[in-house]
Amino acid sequence: MTLLEVDDVHTYYGQSHILEGVSLTVEAGETVALIGRNGVGKTTTLRTILQLTAPRRGSVRIRGEDVTGLGTHDVARRGLGWIPEDRRMFSELSVEENLRIAVKDTDRVGGKLAHAFEVFPDLEQFRDKKAGALSGGQQQMVAIARGLVGDNDLLLVDEPSEGLAPLIVETVAESLRRVSSDTSLLLVEQNFPLAMDLADRFYLLDNGQVVEQGSTDDVSREDEQIRRHLSA
Amino acid sequence: MTGAALAAMSDVAVATPLFVDSLLDFLDPGTLASVFVDGLSKAALYVMITAGLTLIFGLMGVLNFAHGSLTMIGAYAGGLVLVVLVSDSTGSVARIGAFFAAVAVVFALLAVAGAGIEMKLVRPLYDRNPLYQILLTFGLTLVLDELVEIIVHFYGIQPTHEWQAAMATKPAFLTATYSLLGLSVVGLDLFEIAFGVLTVVAVWAFLTRTRYGLYIRAGSEDSEMTEALGINVRRAFTVVFGLGVGIAAVAGVLLAWDVTWGASVPLAAETLLPAFVVVIVGGLGTFRGTVAAAIIVGLVDATMTWWFQNVVDFPGLPEMTIFLILVVMLVVRPQGLFGVAEVGGH
Amino acid sequence: MTALRSYLRRRVVLVALVAFLGAYPGLHNLLVSSPVGTELALVLPRVETMVSVFYFGLFAMSFDFVSGYTGYLSFGHAAFFGTGAYTVILVANGKIPFLASSTPFMLSLLLGAVLAVMLALLIGAVSFRLSGVYFAMITLGFAQVLYVFVRNWDYLSSNPRDGMSVLEHPAGFEVGVPGIDALNLQIASADFVGETISMGWIQLSAAEVSYYMVGLVVLACYLAMRRALRSPFGRTMVAIRENEERARAIGYDTFRYKLGAFTVSAFFAAIAGGLFAGYARSVTPENTFFFLVSGDALLAAILGGFGTLAGPLLGRLFHESLSEFLSDQAGGPHIDVGQLGLLPYLRQTLGESTLATELYNGFTVGEFVEVFVNGHESLYLGVLFVLFVFYVPNGLLGSVQDRLGGTVGSELPAAVRRLWGRYRTELPTTIRRLWGR
Repeated sequence: MTLLEVDDVHTYYGQSHILEGVSLTVEAGETVALIGRNGVGKTTTLRTILQLTAPRRGSVRIRGEDVTGLGTHDVARRGLGWIPEDRRMFSELSVEENLRIAVKDTDRVGGKLAHAFEVFPDLEQFRDKKAGALSGGQQQMVAIARGLVGDNDLLLVDEPSEGLAPLIVETVAESLRRVSSDTSLLLVEQNFPLAMDLADRFYLLDNGQVVEQGSTDDVSREDEQIRRHLSA
Repeated sequence: MTGAALAAMSDVAVATPLFVDSLLDFLDPGTLASVFVDGLSKAALYVMITAGLTLIFGLMGVLNFAHGSLTMIGAYAGGLVLVVLVSDSTGSVARIGAFFAAVAVVFALLAVAGAGIEMKLVRPLYDRNPLYQILLTFGLTLVLDELVEIIVHFYGIQPTHEWQAAMATKPAFLTATYSLLGLSVVGLDLFEIAFGVLTVVAVWAFLTRTRYGLYIRAGSEDSEMTEALGINVRRAFTVVFGLGVGIAAVAGVLLAWDVTWGASVPLAAETLLPAFVVVIVGGLGTFRGTVAAAIIVGLVDATMTWWFQNVVDFPGLPEMTIFLILVVMLVVRPQGLFGVAEVGGH
Repeated sequence: MTALRSYLRRRVVLVALVAFLGAYPGLHNLLVSSPVGTELALVLPRVETMVSVFYFGLFAMSFDFVSGYTGYLSFGHAAFFGTGAYTVILVANGKIPFLASSTPFMLSLLLGAVLAVMLALLIGAVSFRLSGVYFAMITLGFAQVLYVFVRNWDYLSSNPRDGMSVLEHPAGFEVGVPGIDALNLQIASADFVGETISMGWIQLSAAEVSYYMVGLVVLACYLAMRRALRSPFGRTMVAIRENEERARAIGYDTFRYKLGAFTVSAFFAAIAGGLFAGYARSVTPENTFFFLVSGDALLAAILGGFGTLAGPLLGRLFHESLSEFLSDQAGGPHIDVGQLGLLPYLRQTLGESTLATELYNGFTVGEFVEVFVNGHESLYLGVLFVLFVFYVPNGLLGSVQDRLGGTVGSELPAAVRRLWGRYRTELPTTIRRLWGR
């Protein structure tokens, strides 16, 4: 069964029409990239899926169940995780608390935390440090680990490489790869080669609409169509 | 130079050594210690009347103007339980037991009422300008104060003076004065300090040691992210509002025994204003800040009370100083002691 | 002449309202002595009540001037009201150096306003560095400092907690042009202090004289504030309320505009306080400097319409009428005409047997009336206020404006004209249809 189906959603911020009929799907186990220039509605698409900004028309389905209009926490409980732009750490909380709060299966908090520190051994040493005191790269690790401990089937990842040094980007990419063996990813990424490298399929968004989609295998940056939509 | 001006000058000349004398009196270790104990007991009351306000503002951004009225209702409700349970022949220990029974009953009742207020009245206003939450809770104080006044009046209790029957249920050992390391201390002061410490520890443990406390601390920082982790923040709002109201009401039960406060309808305004001062001085919404601010305001209050009683003939001195702390704090450090530096965030 | 006519035409609503208010005392007397006078006396506000609607309405308008138009909640506005009120009585009691107790009232009114302006500059210079809740709290803090101060400063009177009264100025305070006796009339709430007028068929009690004189001052203040709001200055204030960042980006020094609005509003708040003190001749810290006085202004502004200037006066009228309706007082010069509040009225009309009827468990109708009607206007006002917050968030006048699509003064005549136009074309056909051709 299809994990996520977004069907012709229209989303507004006040009067401005941001998404003008976006449709996309994510299958179980897949990594899908959502690419496009700044301000074409990529982040809004993720927010709409989570019902943080409810669509005015269209529907969002998870495993066939319509979740449009539900509370965000109800959507998240159905196995969706969000790794937002700017990480959005709880900066006054410790790293451990940041992870602890993300565990949805409250009977197995200890095991989940142990697993997270296994996957991200570097985080162990910061366990009791306030998340706000970490570097950008370390915070990105915590954000990804937060997605991991929640037993999510699908992670919505927004610009994970933004503002990070090239060397760090490689580590982040590596951890995403590691996580993607267990879960599906819907990845918003400006870094085109990175997106193409991580994803199986892609959707190209422009002006609130999907203008191109396909497999990442037979796409190159030189593709005329894609270049036109990615350049400002 | 005119005669009046000369007279004024000589007044100053006389006043200066007088001031130095008083300062030496004040700095006497015995005086300092008793002012310190007095200040701590005031701080305990301040932290109790403010803790709920802080929790609610921290998570929900709602400045609850009805907070003082809920403390006042707690004072009457607690007083009622005490009057029913305690008779002349009740022993001291049993009276303390009755007090804790009153605390439990009042906390449970008012917490449920608070949750109800949040669900039915505050919730529909979240999408609007925050001004409307202030307006709503302000309207609630009018209704609650007047309702209490009607009820109290109906039973022949004077609404504007402290309710003596409730005051009289206090066990004798709390009114007595003890000498402790050469210091004379009123029993109730110690009781208040102990109760305040207990409350602070309980709230602190709830916030840092329970899963729900974790939700609340996370929700105060970023409620959207918390929701996206699968946590029902709206339900946390209801719980926190109930808790906040419950603590406010428990503070009222304690005040019903304190001779300088006592259960009365004006208690609503008398507690609301200092609670505002403490919550702003500490930094809106930080519990740590509220505890620190309550101690500062309590100690300053006690100091100024001593100066008024012994030196300066101006009865308004302590109260005026409290509001001056508010003004000075907002000028010097608007975000408060432990607040985040974003001025006028709400 | 044509200029005057066009001026009046453009302000037809204002002129009509002023004319109505001018006729109100006479109208009130007429209606109250009619066969249904007892009932009407219950609903119609007394002239004395209207005087307090005027001065407190002015205070609420001044609060709205800064809070409703710039969006900064001035929660310590009572400080300015109190400054005006205390100045008037201090001058009258000879407690202000170099000013005799015979100083004309208009001058002490002005002095109070100037002092309030200075106070506002001081408070505003510090407070306008903050916004939102913080601004409301710091202004509240300043006002409470002053409140505690006047409550305890024994220079003011022998018992400052109970406030002070006029001691050395036995005659009523004169409102008019200072120095020209013929152009002054005294205000006071009681006949034996104030001025009564008896000219031919015109008989005016002291309260009625006060009604006109206080009303005139309030009208002048209202017009001045309205003028200010319609100037470029006022438009900048609204721009600050809508989006302060943008107003600053366009190049406005928003700090100075906010401070300006604050001082102007303090000026009129002090005038309102001075009128109150002059009329009532005694003040207490509780009804001048206390934070609930600012709360009452907020109440009036919300009921009448936040950011509508005239709305708060309407809101205060609503508030005072309600409390008069629910009061148990039966006093004032119209005592012969009928009882005032609902309680005495019910006691009179229901009769002994009804009052003694048992409702529930020994609780009689009479007791019910005593408990729930006896002066508990705050209860009902609070309920109404909460309902307003939910269902009429723009207040009485604000909602009317929303419906009309502009201010009442400009839109009402047009709406009436439209209605009349439609009426004129449709009426004949309707009549014909009704007649069956």
